[in-house]
Amino acid sequence: MNAPFFKFEYFNTDVSLIIAFAIGIAFGIALEKGGFGRATILASQFYFTNMRVLKVMFTAIVTAMLGLYFLSVIGFVDLSLVYLTQTNMLPMVVGGLVAGVGFVIGGYCPGTSMVAVATGKIDAVVYVAGMIFGIFVFGEMFPSIENFFNSGFMGTVTIPSYFNLSYGLVVFLVVLMALGAFAAAEWGEKKMAAKSGKVKA
Amino acid sequence: MTSLTKILTHAFDKDEGHVHIEIKEKPYSNPYLVGVGLGLVLLAAFVIMGRGLGASGALSTAVAVTVSNIAPEHAAQNNFYKQYVGDENSNPLMDWLIFQTLGVLVGGFLSGTIAHRVKKGVEKGPQISTKMRLVYAFIGGGLLGWGAKLARGCMSGQALSGGAVLNLGSWAFMMMVFVGGYAAAYFMRRQWI
Amino acid sequence: MKKFLSNLTTNQKLGGVALVLGIIALFAGNPYGGTSIKVNEKDLALSTVGNSDKVSVTDLADWIIKNKADFELIDLRSEEKFNEYTIPNAQCIPLAQLSSSELLRNQKIILFSDDDVASSQAWFILKSKKYKGVYILNGGLNNWKEKVLFPKAPVNGSKDELAQFENMKEVAKYFGGSAQSDSSVTDSKPEIKLPTSNTSNTKTTAPTGKKKKREGC
Repeated sequence: MNAPFFKFEYFNTDVSLIIAFAIGIAFGIALEKGGFGRATILASQFYFTNMRVLKVMFTAIVTAMLGLYFLSVIGFVDLSLVYLTQTNMLPMVVGGLVAGVGFVIGGYCPGTSMVAVATGKIDAVVYVAGMIFGIFVFGEMFPSIENFFNSGFMGTVTIPSYFNLSYGLVVFLVVLMALGAFAAAEWGEKKMAAKSGKVKA
Repeated sequence: MTSLTKILTHAFDKDEGHVHIEIKEKPYSNPYLVGVGLGLVLLAAFVIMGRGLGASGALSTAVAVTVSNIAPEHAAQNNFYKQYVGDENSNPLMDWLIFQTLGVLVGGFLSGTIAHRVKKGVEKGPQISTKMRLVYAFIGGGLLGWGAKLARGCMSGQALSGGAVLNLGSWAFMMMVFVGGYAAAYFMRRQWI
Repeated sequence: MKKFLSNLTTNQKLGGVALVLGIIALFAGNPYGGTSIKVNEKDLALSTVGNSDKVSVTDLADWIIKNKADFELIDLRSEEKFNEYTIPNAQCIPLAQLSSSELLRNQKIILFSDDDVASSQAWFILKSKKYKGVYILNGGLNNWKEKVLFPKAPVNGSKDELAQFENMKEVAKYFGGSAQSDSSVTDSKPEIKLPTSNTSNTKTTAPTGKKKKREGC
């Protein structure tokens, strides 16, 4: 077990910042190539005309999940050292709803807005300003909602451990779900395109 | 691919005097291949750093540092700002997420430049004015910033990264984002279609 | 079959690969094997606590007096025993919590308990987890009390031994003990509450000033 490398002290914090920058570049390239720097493409996910968001996101999740799983099984990666955010169920549910609404109204999410800013989209710049404002409001409100923020605490829990299923089984189910979602998305896009006489590119 | 061009051309026909998006750009790649690429980047982050990607955290740090510079006592009493400002031992701006986000800006620019997709403009649907689009962009950004902080993450951090490690809260968050998005889509259709 | 495979689109090939990997995952087992330690018995037998892995109590006393701080001193006993008395600058990490501690692999770690048993166990655990700079305090706390806190005057000692003893008297005083010039004083366990035990108590469980790096998003 010698990975994650940083947790085994292969390099120090300063080098990790350079690595962060490099990973960020790759992240930005992947997002831009996926068309995620465009609010119209991102939003069309919610009108079933272009399901790119779902396809790219779930493919990425499945790829990383499979990679991490198999690397852990063979012992290359120590999975217990990989960071897991704690689960606060109700705040995350509420936060997800609000974020979803914000996504459709604003047309971006934080990562994609950066790519859009980098490719010259003025609405993305305004969006980032909005995000900063939203975070500031949250910060100022924090003392009053701190209790809610910390409610529903379930520790760091994974789906396999919560539902008492084997990790491999959940991996398999996620793959199935993703493939099903892709098939539905392809079918949905074709139908929408046929309906409106346009062909999705 | 040419049909996409046709759609975009017609989509902007109605607008006069507003900033248009020009179309001589390279088409976008196969979404599944892009997804695999993105997944490999995420995997690299896990294997090298033992953590996933993120985005909202960088902005949070920026906000917290700004607030604590302008009003230090106020920030010191606020548990939210405190966690981003850290202690006196280290510069809070030397933060992994900040460097990663700077990389995203660079990477997006590079990729866009190579594909001739860097153009000043405003992304919007055909039925809405630029001004309203910008208003909505600000409101949407505000909601997303707020919601992401409540949920301890955004799409990159919670949905992507947390999703890949089968984190329960992350999947719940992801599902709710789709629910919220589809619910709001009907009301926002003027902006996009 | 070959024709079928070559006729698949890229997307279908990707989907097929994912499905195959998913099915393999059903049988591939538990990915958390990393929490058990893989031990190469031969290596470990060869590398069992050699002399280079031991730190003498007198050396440690010397380093503490000279304020050398490039090591982590770990007290493996229970918290009550730690609070009763411990060596200055020691952290309390009971043996059972050692694997979940936040010790970094590039630190110099000196382990001690009352005798050598727990520290050898801890040495073994850390070495198996690929820690590099692991040492045990030779003789543990018992030896510390004997040699550093209450050094006994050498009977019929040589000039060197006597000189050394004078030295140890000062060292003992520094740590709040007292030299035993009379070997008839075998009734040990006088009060060993050191003034310095205050400073060591401030480091019970938290690692020395290392702020936990935020890893969220």
